[in-house]
Amino acid sequence: MYKFGATLVGVFVAFMVLFNGTLAANYGNYAALIIIHVVGLVGISSYLLIKRENNKINRSIPFYLFLGGAIGVILVSFNNICFSAIGVSLTIAFGLFGQIVMSLIVDHFGLFGLKQTPFNFKKIFGLLLIFSGVYVMTLG
Amino acid sequence: MYYLFAFSAGALTLISMITNSKLASYVGTRQSTLVNFTAGLIVSIFLYLMFQETTFKLVSLPIWAYFGGLMGIFIVIISNIVIPKIPTVYTTLLIFIGQLLTGVLIDFIQYRELSLYKFIGVLLITAGLYFNFIIDKKDQLKKAQGKSA
Repeated sequence: MYKFGATLVGVFVAFMVLFNGTLAANYGNYAALIIIHVVGLVGISSYLLIKRENNKINRSIPFYLFLGGAIGVILVSFNNICFSAIGVSLTIAFGLFGQIVMSLIVDHFGLFGLKQTPFNFKKIFGLLLIFSGVYVMTLG
Repeated sequence: MYYLFAFSAGALTLISMITNSKLASYVGTRQSTLVNFTAGLIVSIFLYLMFQETTFKLVSLPIWAYFGGLMGIFIVIISNIVIPKIPTVYTTLLIFIGQLLTGVLIDFIQYRELSLYKFIGVLLITAGLYFNFIIDKKDQLKKAQGKSA
């Protein structure tokens, strides 16, 4: 059941790329970004209101943590541009590859205050497999 | 070129995931999602005013095209339920496989073309991910043993 839930998360990510990409192709990138964020904001606000969650947002939280949404805007734009040019599956395949490489870099150097985990060179084999998979996907 | 964009989007996804999980440790994932969309909206409006010269007009599109933001919320809510319940290896693998296969399916529906290459690619990616997970697990085991010895 929970495994189905995890798979569903992945399915939703793919549909999100499709929905947002379609929007951007028709409205232009910037107007699409506004629509996406308004819909999301209305959605999460209603959810919080229904669930009656107490507000936990306050001034003691470091300011840079509020900037995650700004990074989100850049990545959604990139995805939208790629969607029209290379389709959903390749956008996702290259995106996942970027995510994996970045996670190895973050772990190796212990960036963002996370625990440092040195790179194990045996993982090159796995990375090559993943990269060859992404490459094969570009063939057709 | 587009491959590079998609790759960077993935790298940025990870950074935003780290930032969000740090924010979530203060306010919980749902309120961090609220903060996220608010910050995103402010930046989007700013960008729109700076770069978009045309005035905004409504385009007739099927209603589902507007649901991208909602998908983002579903993803957060379901992840919250699922991630603590099953080992990270499975969550990550299943989320990746779910994404890739749905992506292949959507492309098939859009372009009416089923490609064997894409399926082979998904298999290779999954194999690579799994291989690296096994190595991670062995490393963790070694560390744990080193500590207890």
